[in-house]
Amino acid sequence: MELDPGIVLRNLPALLDGLRITGLAFLAALGVGLPLGALVCAARLRGGVWGALGQGYVAVLRAIPEMVLIFWMFYVLPPLLGVRGSGLVLGSLALGLVTSAYLAEIFRAGVQSVGRGQWEGARSLGLPARVIWTRVAIPQAARLAIPPFVNALTELLKGTTLLATIGVADLALKAYVLGAQTFRYMEFLTAIAVLYFIVIFPVARLAERVEHRLAAAMK
Amino acid sequence: MDGLAPLDFGAVWQYRVPFAWGLWTTVWIAAVAFAIAVPAGLILAWGRIRGRWWVNLPIMGFVDVMRFTPLLVQAVWIHFALPALTGASMTATQSGLLALTLHVSAYVCDILRAGIVAIPKGQWEAARALGLRNRHTVVRVVLPQVWPLVLPPLANVAVGTFKLTAILGILAIDDMMKVANRINNMVFRPVEIYTAVAGAYLLVGLLLTAGANAVERRFGAARQAGRMRRAQAMGRPGALAGRPDGA
Repeated sequence: MELDPGIVLRNLPALLDGLRITGLAFLAALGVGLPLGALVCAARLRGGVWGALGQGYVAVLRAIPEMVLIFWMFYVLPPLLGVRGSGLVLGSLALGLVTSAYLAEIFRAGVQSVGRGQWEGARSLGLPARVIWTRVAIPQAARLAIPPFVNALTELLKGTTLLATIGVADLALKAYVLGAQTFRYMEFLTAIAVLYFIVIFPVARLAERVEHRLAAAMK
Repeated sequence: MDGLAPLDFGAVWQYRVPFAWGLWTTVWIAAVAFAIAVPAGLILAWGRIRGRWWVNLPIMGFVDVMRFTPLLVQAVWIHFALPALTGASMTATQSGLLALTLHVSAYVCDILRAGIVAIPKGQWEAARALGLRNRHTVVRVVLPQVWPLVLPPLANVAVGTFKLTAILGILAIDDMMKVANRINNMVFRPVEIYTAVAGAYLLVGLLLTAGANAVERRFGAARQAGRMRRAQAMGRPGALAGRPDGA
C-alpha cells in the first residue's frame, strides 16, 4: 500500500476545525469540572450529610463509564428537563461531571496531606482562616496535587474523543469521516494519533517527573 | 416539558434478551482483555527491567503510545487503518478486543514494573547467595512479594477495563452500549433505554469498585509500609484508575 501523507495537509482546514471543537470541549468540561470538583471536595471535607452526598456523587461518577454517561446526557437529559442542547454542550457537561469527581478526590488528598501541625501552628499564630487556606494549606496541598491534576487533564483530553460518538465534529470524528471519504484511514488516523501523543506525552512525562521528585523528597 | 410521554419501560423489558446478551458481551470482552493483559504486561515489564536497550526502548515506546493516545483512536486505527497495512481484515470483535488488550497491557506493564522495582536488591542478592537459580529467584522469591504490592492498582485497572469496553461499541461489536443504540433506533425510547443501560453499567461498575476497594483494604497495608512509593503514582485518574489520589 502506498501512503499519501500529503492528503492530510490538503485537508488541514477541516482537521483544524476539529481541533478547535476538541479544544472547546476540553475547556468547557474543565470549566464545569474545576469549580464543581472544588465544591464536592469542600463537601467531603466537611463531613456529615454533605460529606455523604459528596461521597455518593464521587462513587457514582467514577463507577459509570464516561461513554455511558455521555449517551445518557445526550438522549435523556433534553426530554427529561425539557431543554435543548447540542452534543457539544451536553457531552462536555458529562465529561465535566466525571472530571469533577476525579478532581474532588485529588484536591481532598492534597488538603488531607497537609499535616495537622501546620493547621495548629497557623491558628496559634492568629492567622485568619482565609489566610491559613491561601498561604499555608493550599500551597502545600498543591504540591502533592499537581501531578494527579495534570494526569486528570490528559485523561480529559483523551475523553473528548468520546464526543465523536454523539456526532460532535471533534478531531477524532473529522479524521474518521475524512478517512471514510477518501479511504485513507491510515493517513488521517495516524496523523491525529500522533497529534494527541505530542500534546499529551510531554505534559504527562513532566507530571511523572514531578511526582518522582516529590516521592523522593518525602522519603 | 414539551410533551414528555409517560415513561414506559416496556421496550426495555421486551428486549431483555438482547440486552442480556449485550451485557454478557461487555463482561466477557473485559474479562478476556484483562486476563490476557496481565501476563502480557508482566512480559513487557520484564523486558523493560531486564532487556537491553533494543528490547527496553521499543516497549517503552509502545507503552507510552498506548497510554498517551485515546483508546477510541486506537480502536478505530486498528479496525480501519491496520488492515491496509497487513492485508488481513479483522472482525469488529477481534479489533476491539485487540485494542483493549493492548491498551490495558500497557497500564499493567507500568504497574508491574513499579512493583518489581520496589523489591529491595537484597532479596535478589540473598537468593543468589543461597544458590537459587534465576528462575527460582523470580518465581519463588520476587513475584510472591510483588503480587500484594500490585494487586490494588491491578484491581483498579480491572474496573477501568470494564469501563473502557463501552467505547468499543463504536465498532460493530454488540456490547451493551451498541445493543442499546440498535434498539433505540428501532423503538425510539431513548429515555427508558439509556436510563436502564446506564443503571446496568452503574451497578456492575459499583460492584467492581467495591471489589477493588476490598482488595485495597486487604493489601493496602503493604503499600503503607512504604515498600512501594512509586506505586502511589499509579493511582492515576481517569479510565484506568479508581483512585486518582493514590491514597
